[in-house]
Formats: sequence, C-alpha cells, structure tokens
Amino acid sequence: MNRKLSQKIAFWIFRILGWAVVGILLWILGFIVYNGIGVISLEFIFDSPRNGMLEGGIFPAIVGTFCLIIGSMIVAFPLGVMSAIYTNEYVRDGKISRFIRMMTNNLGSIPSIVFGLFGMALFVRAMSWGDSIIAGSFTLGLLVLPLVIRTTEEALRMVPDALRTGSYALGASKLQTIRYVVLPTAFPNIVTGLILSVGRVSGETAPILFTVAAFFLPRLPSSVFDQVMALPYHLYVLSTSGSNLEAQRPMAYGTALVLITLVLIINFTASLIRKYFSKKHGAV
Amino acid sequence: MDIIEAKNIDFYYSDFHALKNVSLGIAKNSVTAFIGPSGCGKSTFLRLLNRMNDLIPDTKLAGKCLVNGEDIYAKGVDVDTLRKKIGMVFQKPNPFPKTIFENIAYGLRVNRMGNKEFIRNRVEESLKAAALWDEVKDKMNRSAYDLSGGQQQRLCIARALAVKPDILLMDEPASALDPISTAKIEDLIFDLKTQYTIVIVTHNMQQAARVSDSTGFFMLGELIEFSDTKKMFLNPAKEQTQNYITGRFG
Amino acid sequence: MPKNSEKELISLKEEINSMWKLVLSQVQKCKQAYLTGNVVLAHEVVVREKSVNSFELSIDIGSENYIALFTPVAMDLRWIISMIKISATLERIADFADGIARHVIEDNSDLVPESVKDDLKIEAMFDAVISMLSDSYVALETENTKISGKILQKDDIVDKLYQDGRRYLAEYIQKEPAKGSSILNTFLTLRKIERIGDHCCNIVEEIVFYIDAKVLKHSKAKNKISRLETESEVGTQE
Repeated sequence: MNRKLSQKIAFWIFRILGWAVVGILLWILGFIVYNGIGVISLEFIFDSPRNGMLEGGIFPAIVGTFCLIIGSMIVAFPLGVMSAIYTNEYVRDGKISRFIRMMTNNLGSIPSIVFGLFGMALFVRAMSWGDSIIAGSFTLGLLVLPLVIRTTEEALRMVPDALRTGSYALGASKLQTIRYVVLPTAFPNIVTGLILSVGRVSGETAPILFTVAAFFLPRLPSSVFDQVMALPYHLYVLSTSGSNLEAQRPMAYGTALVLITLVLIINFTASLIRKYFSKKHGAV
Repeated sequence: MDIIEAKNIDFYYSDFHALKNVSLGIAKNSVTAFIGPSGCGKSTFLRLLNRMNDLIPDTKLAGKCLVNGEDIYAKGVDVDTLRKKIGMVFQKPNPFPKTIFENIAYGLRVNRMGNKEFIRNRVEESLKAAALWDEVKDKMNRSAYDLSGGQQQRLCIARALAVKPDILLMDEPASALDPISTAKIEDLIFDLKTQYTIVIVTHNMQQAARVSDSTGFFMLGELIEFSDTKKMFLNPAKEQTQNYITGRFG
Repeated sequence: MPKNSEKELISLKEEINSMWKLVLSQVQKCKQAYLTGNVVLAHEVVVREKSVNSFELSIDIGSENYIALFTPVAMDLRWIISMIKISATLERIADFADGIARHVIEDNSDLVPESVKDDLKIEAMFDAVISMLSDSYVALETENTKISGKILQKDDIVDKLYQDGRRYLAEYIQKEPAKGSSILNTFLTLRKIERIGDHCCNIVEEIVFYIDAKVLKHSKAKNKISRLETESEVGTQE
C-alpha cells in the first residue's frame, strides 16, 4: 500500500473516532432532552414533589444539591488549595512531596461508596451530626479533595518559576510571593479545577446516600443540620423505588435534564470566569 | 573601598564544584561584566551576590562574600532585605501578569514602602530612569504582557530600580532581544552607572566590551582573569582568556 | 578560531608578505640603480611603484572587511591594527625608493664624482635600511621581538651617517658651487634613505605592539631599546 493511501486511511480513522465522542455526547443529551423536556415547567422546577412523587416538582432537590455544592466546596477548596501550596511551594524534598502526591492519588482512587460509609461512621455517628447537610458536605468535600489538590497543583506548576524568582529578587518573602504573584497567576486554572469538582459533587450519589439525602422531604432545609433531597439521589429514587416506576419515568428524565443543564451551566460559567481572569492577567 | 568583595569563594551543587576559589572586588558605581562559556560559573557567581542560589536545594558555599563590608552569608542576615538592596534582572523578561503600574509598584508594596502618592511618584520616576516612561505613560493600566520583549525587559529593570537598590545584577539581560532593544538596554546600563553598581553576565563578548568598565572571565568554575575591560579585549594577560575571546579553543 | 575568519586572516597575511617582498626588492633595486647609475633599473622601480600602491589598497579593503565582519579582539585586534599601519608604512617606503629612482633618471650623476658616494658611505646606509626592513619581516614571521632591539640600534647608525653626510655635503657645496643642483639631489637621496630607516622603526614598533602589546611609539630611542630588553621576557604569551 502506498504511503499516501495509508496516511489517508489513518486520518479518517482518527477523524471518525474524534467525532464519535461528540456524537455520543450529543446522543445522550438528545435522549435526555427528548424524554425529559415534556415535564419541564415552572411548576416542575419551583414546586415540591406531591402525590408519591408523581406530581409537583423537584425544587427541594435542586436547593439541596446547591447546598451540598456550596458546603463541599467550603470544605474542599481551602483544604485542597492549601495542601497543594504546601506540596508545590514549600516542600523542597522531592521524596516527601512524592509521598504526599502518591497518598493524594490513592485517596482519589477510593470508591465513592466507601467515602459514604466513612462519612456515615465519622460525621453522622461519631460527631453525631446525624444525616445532615454538614455531614454530606464534609463527605463530598473529602471525596473531591484529591481532584482539587491535583488541579491546583497543576495550576501552580504552570506558573513559571521566573515569576517567583522575579518576586524574590525584589525582596518579597515567600508568603508574599505566593499571595501576590503565584496565586493570582494560577487563579484561572484553580477555578477550572474547582468547577470540575463542582460537577463531580453535583453528580455523586453514593456518598450522600448514608449521610444527608432524604428519600422524600418536600420542604426546604432550615439549618446545616437538616437533611435535604439531592438531584442525583432523587433521580435514583425515581428510577428504582416508589409506588409506580412507569409513571415516575418522565419525572426521572426531567430530573436528569435539570441535573445535566445545571452542570453545563456551571461549566460554562467557569470558562467565562477563566477567560475574564486570563484577559486581566495575561495568558499563562 | 569595593562595594562587593568576594574572598576565596567555593560553591558546590551537591557534588559539582561550580566555583573554585573565586576572589574579586567590584568598585562602586562601575559596570562589571562576567563572560565565559556556558556552565563556567558566571551566573552562579552572580546569583551568589543576592543569595538567589539559596532557592536551589543541596548547595554548599565556602568563603566570604562582603557587600558594603558586611558578610551577606552571616547568621542573622535577612535575605529579603538583602535582595531589596541588590536588585536583579533576568535573561528572559519576566513581568508579573499584572498591569504595568502594578508591576513597578510590586516591590514597593511588598516592602511596605510609602503611601499611594509616594508609590505613584516612584513608579513614574523608575519608568523614566528605565527610559520607558514615554512609551507607557498612557497605558499604565494595561497588562505588562501587551508590551514588546524589549519593553518588557526595560519594565523589569524599572521594577528593580523602584526599590532603590545599591547594586543591580543582570543575568544576560539582552540575550532574548533584537539589536535595537539590545542597544536601548546597553544605553540604559551606561546611564544607570552613575547611580548604581551594575554586574552583568553576558554571552555576548562585544556587549561586555561595550558596556563594562571591568571584565571577569570564568572558565570551569575558575575566575581566570579579572581586569580592566579595555585591557582584557586588547591584551589579555592569560592565554586562556585570549583563546576564548578570539574564538580559538584548545 | 572559526574557520572562515582564519581563512580571511591567512589571505590577508599572504598579501602583506607579498607586499613586503615587493617593497624590499624595490629598495634593493633603487640601491643598485643609484650606485651603478643604471637608468633602466630605475625605470623599472618607478613602474613597479604602481603595484605597491594597489597592494596597499587591497590590504586596506581586506582589513576593513575583516574588522566589520569578525570584530576581532585581543591578539587579532592588535594584529589587524598593526597590519593596516604597516601596509601604509611600506607604501611610504616604496615612495622613497621611487623618489630615489627618479633622481637617478633625472640626474647628471657624473657631475658628482664616485668618490663622494664612497665618502658618504651611501652603500652602507642602503645596506643598513635593507637589513632593517628584512629583519623586521623576519621578526613578524617568527613572532619574535628579541631582534627588534638590534633593528632599532641600526637606525642610530643610519642617523649618524646621515648627519655626517649632511655636514660633508655642506662643505662640498661651498667648494664646488657649480655642481650645486647635483649635490642637492645627492642630499635628497641621503635624506630619503634616512627616512626609510625611520619608517622601518615604525614597522618594528607596530610588530612589538602586535606581539607584546607594548606601546613604544614616541618614547626616546634609548628608552625603547632598554624597555625592549628589560620586558621582553614578560611580554609574549604565544
């Protein structure tokens, strides 16, 4: 076979596979939208479920998911960013930072259901917070911690050393250098990591199963020690249990559509924020 | 008295003996150039002077390095204060991803120097000293990344000048620039000489010859020759120097 | 050193060598022409003066190119500076040889008896400057400045002969005023040989500057020699 032909064939294989990914995504989206759009209405979004979840809306689940996103980020973000700063900026010994990195990766490979169990044992029982937003937030926070750490570390590593040395050369201390040069420069990329973990949090079911999620709770939470409904768990409930699975199906698709739209909106906002900061600070 | 005095300095990167018994004195308000092949230790020596080598793990120093008569490696020396007194400009322009104004103000802010008014005046003064003011005065709030490479390098010089150092170290400041920007930097070095002591490392021998008063030639970690620049380039005392600057090797 | 700049240097060096040989033979030929009154030989000297001039021009151009393209430093810089000056000096020496040859052509030399030339020791003067010129060529070729002291000493001899000859001719012109113009021509020849000696000294100074980087110019002749002798041990690195 001549070279030109084999090259052409190879390119076509790459091209087809590349577009296949886009195709699969569009297929899933189309499927969800097609099945779920029917139930979407203001009532569906802003009302509580009624009549054995066959009627009404999913508002408490949306609010619950938001609470969990915010809560888990409050837990994971400072912890993750500071830990990444420590390993990337302060630890000079390669062995120690490699060890910390390895442990972080191991933490990331623990199945999420194990986090759920651990969260139940520690936060729900031992701390006696009960099934609550705070217990769920901590559990989810721990779950995405490795992701936050890894993306932050990568963001910090992308900051050129020349900027650090430039700052030191002006008499800035290490802390000042990190605070005024490294973090602002890495910020757009850190935000990206943060958004990725928000996506992860909003979709997880297993860790909230034992720590926060309510099967059916048609009211809004009043404190962080309240249970809440959450979109993924609600979706799970709608598709696996309840009085009438067949009748629940459209509601399930609607919920899925809302969940996906929520995640897409978050991602879109993230890229807007990123673009804004990149423009302001110059590309890194 | 010499503003910088190095006495029998040996320096090691773990096992590598990077500087071997280097001694020299640098006069105040003079321009000193260090030349030599890559890896000869000239940059290492430059980075000793503001303790930039501290940032590299597993290094060892022997000998004394005095700046203004004080041992900069003595116990209790505050490195941040030292670096404020000894500014540095790097090979590649490294402006911060901030506005032009904030780039210059940075050194003043981290060293907590003066109020708003003071900072604004000092920024203008430094940009004028770096011959950049006319080009940027209308775009102080634009990102420093919008400037050309040569302008960025002059911005970095202005940034170093803003904290009023005694000594300005330059690590191949023009090697990434075109001839016109290079000429501007060289002019600048000439002007700055009246107020600052400048030490410059360069690969470009003609540049060393043009800008400096005295020149040091490093090879394999040794300071082979340190003398008046004119003498160095007309009649070097050592054969190794002659071979290097005329391009003869071996 | 970079190969291309070395090539440039070698071709310049060859040109200087050829020019040097040509000028040396010009001086030798004008000596012959003068001592034997050989007008044909004198004409040859005058004709060949033109090629000396063209040598000087081409060395100038070569040096300019070398400086512009290779920005020489240290030894190379000193070499090219001294070569420019030496080629200009050689050209001046050739001018004097040309002038002496022209005297031979114009002159009714039989008005001045041969004995005068002997009394003036003109042959000895010629031989002295010719050996100065060829010795300095050897000094450059071997990059050895040890003999430069000897070359400078020879100039003292030439100067002495010139002074003696001037006094001799001053007396002679009073005795034989009728031969005045011929005697003046003889004096001018004497003067030209003396100038050739001076220019040879300049060449030696340039060679010493190139090899030892010592500036001998404009210091007293005796100082020059003593400085050469005391410092020649320290100077050269080659």
